[in-house]
Amino acid sequence: MDSEFRYTDEELISRFQEGDEQAYTELVNRYRDRLMSFVYRFINDIEKAEDIVQDTLLKLYTHRHYYRNIAKFSTWIYTIAGNLAKTELRRKKRHKVTNLSQMGTEESEYILPSVEPETGDTAQGHFAEKQIQKAIQELPLHFRTVVILRDIQELSYEEISKIVDVPLGTVKSRINRARLQLQQTLKEFR
Amino acid sequence: MDRYQFEDLISDYIENNLSMSQRKEFESYQENHPNAKEQVESIKQLMGSMKSMPVVETSKSFGDNLYKRIALEKEAKSVVKTTRSFAGYTPLMAGLSAVVVIAVVVLGLEFMPVNTNQAGFQPYMAEGTELNIPDNNGLSQDKLLAEADDDSTEIDATNQQKHDFENQIRLVGDKRP
Repeated sequence: MDSEFRYTDEELISRFQEGDEQAYTELVNRYRDRLMSFVYRFINDIEKAEDIVQDTLLKLYTHRHYYRNIAKFSTWIYTIAGNLAKTELRRKKRHKVTNLSQMGTEESEYILPSVEPETGDTAQGHFAEKQIQKAIQELPLHFRTVVILRDIQELSYEEISKIVDVPLGTVKSRINRARLQLQQTLKEFR
Repeated sequence: MDRYQFEDLISDYIENNLSMSQRKEFESYQENHPNAKEQVESIKQLMGSMKSMPVVETSKSFGDNLYKRIALEKEAKSVVKTTRSFAGYTPLMAGLSAVVVIAVVVLGLEFMPVNTNQAGFQPYMAEGTELNIPDNNGLSQDKLLAEADDDSTEIDATNQQKHDFENQIRLVGDKRP
């Protein structure tokens, strides 16, 4: 077993709270890409996503004593990242509304990064990923969060329920509805 | 089972969370509705595609940038800690507060009534202001003052008579008539 994974996340944050900065580095290494995937799928902006992940991990550093060992560490860190991502989306929406009122109706959709020409399965796979990513952006926020956490991040229903702070039954129902809506949107894209 | 009930159970069916009776009912609905079967397959595929979406990695400079920000944060905290303070105020704020307090005290003293009469309260009157006494049986202020002067003269004369013991006291050997 890799020596880096001797400690659980909860043990690491506990050590960090006691002053062990190595434990913080370990937590950063464990979560940076997972959070990046989550935030990017949520806001669909790679640069902003990286900023948000940095803010999340900076908050972990400065607010380490706010964590209480009653919840899973992953629940806590995903909650912080999710809240920051939602704030960014609200800010972006306000900014977009302002810009639209100044510029007219042009550029009303997200500008997706250009895709370089590819061939074969890679191109098809990439296309599917882009389509799914685009379809996710059309989901309402409360559907988007839960479906990303479940189907991309592969978290348990219980954990998602704690992260979004809604009952388990509501989470299950939202995930099911989100999948139906995604399936419908992708069907329309084809 | 209707379409809405069927749709509500799709995820539970795919994730194998239905009871045996529910499962049978669900599958029987699928058999009778080919579109429903297609929908379940499509959602299964979607879930598979989402699971296999590539992990989005942070940039190579991510770690450096993060630790730079942490260093700045630490620096900012130490600056706040080492800044001198007077009763919780920065020197500038403490100075400004002191100036305001002094100004209030000075202005307060400037407008406070000056009381030179130790016996009792005397209202402050600006120079040149006449005292207007409302009811003095029709006597003017000047007349009252004149009468007051007369009274004082009389009292003085009487007092002088009363207290002039010079003619009443005679010392031994006094030859006065």
